[in-house]
Amino acid sequence: MAKEKETRILLGNAAIARGIIEAGCHVFTSYPGTPSSEIVPAAVQFKRELGLDTYIEWSTNEKVAFDNALAASLTGKRAAVAMKQVGLNVASDSLMSSAYTGVIGGLVLVSCDDPGPLSSQTEQDSRFFAMFAKVPVYDPSTPQEAKEMVKEAFELSETFQIPVILRPTIRVSHAKQNVKLLPVKVLDRPANFKRDPERWAATPKYRFFLHKKLNETIKKIQERFENDTKWNYEVGKRRGVSFGIITCSVSFVVLLDILEELRLKKVVNVLKIGTPYPLPQKKVAEFIKRHKKVIVIEETDSVIESQIINKSKVLGRLTGHIPLQGELAPDVIYNILAGVLKEHGITNLKKIIDTKLKRLVESLNLNVRKPTLCAGCPERGVFFAIKKALPKAIYPSDIGCYTLGLNLKAVDTVLDMGAGITFASGFYQAYFQDKNDIPIVATMGDSTFYHAGTASLINAVYNKTRFILVILDNEITAMTGMQPTPGLGIRADGSEGNKIPLKELIKGCGVKWIKTIDPYDVKNLIKLLKKAREYTQKSDGGIAVIIAKHPCIIPYPEVLKDNPVKVEITEDCNGCMYCIDFFECPALLRNEEENRVEIDRMFCVDCGVCLNACPRGAIIPVGN
Amino acid sequence: MKLQIILAGVGGQGILFSSKIFSELGLRLGLDIMGSETHGMSQRGGSVIAHLRLGKFQSPIIRTGTANILYSFEENETYRNLNFLRRGSLCFVNLESMDRFDKKILKYLKEREITFKVCDAGGAATKIGSVLAANIVLIGFSVGTGLVPFKYEDLKYVLQLVSRKKDLGINLKAFEIGFKEGKLLKNR
Repeated sequence: MAKEKETRILLGNAAIARGIIEAGCHVFTSYPGTPSSEIVPAAVQFKRELGLDTYIEWSTNEKVAFDNALAASLTGKRAAVAMKQVGLNVASDSLMSSAYTGVIGGLVLVSCDDPGPLSSQTEQDSRFFAMFAKVPVYDPSTPQEAKEMVKEAFELSETFQIPVILRPTIRVSHAKQNVKLLPVKVLDRPANFKRDPERWAATPKYRFFLHKKLNETIKKIQERFENDTKWNYEVGKRRGVSFGIITCSVSFVVLLDILEELRLKKVVNVLKIGTPYPLPQKKVAEFIKRHKKVIVIEETDSVIESQIINKSKVLGRLTGHIPLQGELAPDVIYNILAGVLKEHGITNLKKIIDTKLKRLVESLNLNVRKPTLCAGCPERGVFFAIKKALPKAIYPSDIGCYTLGLNLKAVDTVLDMGAGITFASGFYQAYFQDKNDIPIVATMGDSTFYHAGTASLINAVYNKTRFILVILDNEITAMTGMQPTPGLGIRADGSEGNKIPLKELIKGCGVKWIKTIDPYDVKNLIKLLKKAREYTQKSDGGIAVIIAKHPCIIPYPEVLKDNPVKVEITEDCNGCMYCIDFFECPALLRNEEENRVEIDRMFCVDCGVCLNACPRGAIIPVGN
Repeated sequence: MKLQIILAGVGGQGILFSSKIFSELGLRLGLDIMGSETHGMSQRGGSVIAHLRLGKFQSPIIRTGTANILYSFEENETYRNLNFLRRGSLCFVNLESMDRFDKKILKYLKEREITFKVCDAGGAATKIGSVLAANIVLIGFSVGTGLVPFKYEDLKYVLQLVSRKKDLGINLKAFEIGFKEGKLLKNR
């Protein structure tokens, strides 16, 4: 058990997990995605440490996760569900409807935002989803606050029978802080689903009444937030100060540090909002009234600002004072502050942008270090082979490590989870309509296939499309930190589940041509891709699926020891850089002075796949 | 005490582990800890940076021109992150020799009174059979120079606390080697 007043350094996501556990949550579901992925592993660890029987699962996708948590709530248990912000797009159907039907046991949805974006396809602000669905949202500034907010979110959810969102941004999820651990609440709640079809299976007619009730509920929650001083409070509250700042999330604490550092605490008043929807309107209006001008500094979009009724004194994104995109990093907030304080004659801050250093560093023309597939990554062989076998094909791909197939020029499109297949079928139909037969090679990871692949593939088979689909089966969700998949059959807590073999699943979707190959065998993979192409062109052909199966070498480094192939580069290397451009392994180094390529032994894992990468055959096994 | 540290390098160089060392050290010294880490896509061989703020700070990110110490485990990442350093701060870099570093930038650092020290941590770590321990060599080196406000004993204690069992021996060895290098430099 946690010792009294124990303090631990926790990642924001671990603090959120701790909050979920301390609240006595019974059921916790999630689908991994940066910046949310660390919540489940941390919850599993606390569960073990405390000997709890919390049910924790990695679900196949975010909607599935949401529904499973919601069902638990309907039985009276406390439930939580976590995902990244774009995951909420997938779960939004359930969220919107559940706002109407409501919950019984507390239901907390954690949706982690990614301003920047640092690891996502959009910068969308989950707080807009709260407004859209009409459910309350808490917006934490620090890991410690996130933990406490989760606990209150459960209480609020139960009191008002409504799902509640916690919206940490990446700088909260991936911040770390010394956090106070508190005892765990024990709630004895045997599952007890009370039949009420008018509510749980409401027809459109009753939905109108549910909507009316939801509007009344959100009004009551707004009143509660008006009176709340724990999350919505003023710092300073000095009389005679004419300039005010309304802020929230990590921007609030960044601002406090800047004001402290520049000794500006006395020239501005700050209103911190921890519950941006429903906005405590009276509190905000009263704050604005006391100041000549007020600026709203919030991340990622203008949720607070857009709700403010009288904006005549308000500055923000709508008046062009805040950037419309990108993270509000400390330097950005500093510049915003310097700008408005100068504009209003309050103080003249010197901008500390170091142009001299910037110029010096720029003159070095440093190589941009873009993310790359790891040395030894099985996916590299796949993309290299695709480019060799079918250089003129269209390459729709998907979300995962293999998005980095971009660097090998074998990825043309990345839209969202599942679009690798839907784009392939869509491209096929568009060309087929004009009687054009064009090679299409789609790539998708195993975890993504379980997440969003089956419905797309069934549609593609049903509508008679033809393309090649390569499933990159590394038996893990690699990009987000090695979460297990249904194919591996290991569950979130490490226990054994039922394996769902990919091949049978694909067969079940109606695909007739399925081959499995180890992508380290690049030569045969190239041949297989050509055969697959032939199958798509046969009169009785169709979709060809290749399962490129090889474990990710990060969690399974031992597979490299089976058959290590130490390579070297001979004098035949003429510096054409083909291997750098089309194989792009971090262990292949460009030696500009000697105009040749070298092996970087620090990164090389002796996978030997690069033996195929040199057109002149200058990469050979050592001792040959 | 208020101390802001930037740890910079590329994926796989143990930046997050180094950040763990300093945060546990802060906890041992009774300081509040705030920091920020890179996870996700950029961990795949891209630039990785950790911010660490010890003492009374509210937010996790270090602003340009305010950091006290930069530990850089890779040459190019050093250039990219020098902007974080304040006047009179410290910079420790994993580099074979000072000669490799850009002369104009060295001159600039001197103007800003930034103490710049290099240590061939990668080389030293390779010699003891674990190139991955270069981060610990560099940290040991900084402590050996006596320029940072950390004690030898505290660091050793923390290493024992945070190292995995199988890495502890090599980590302590790496720390000692770095420490000795730093001490040599100090006494020179």
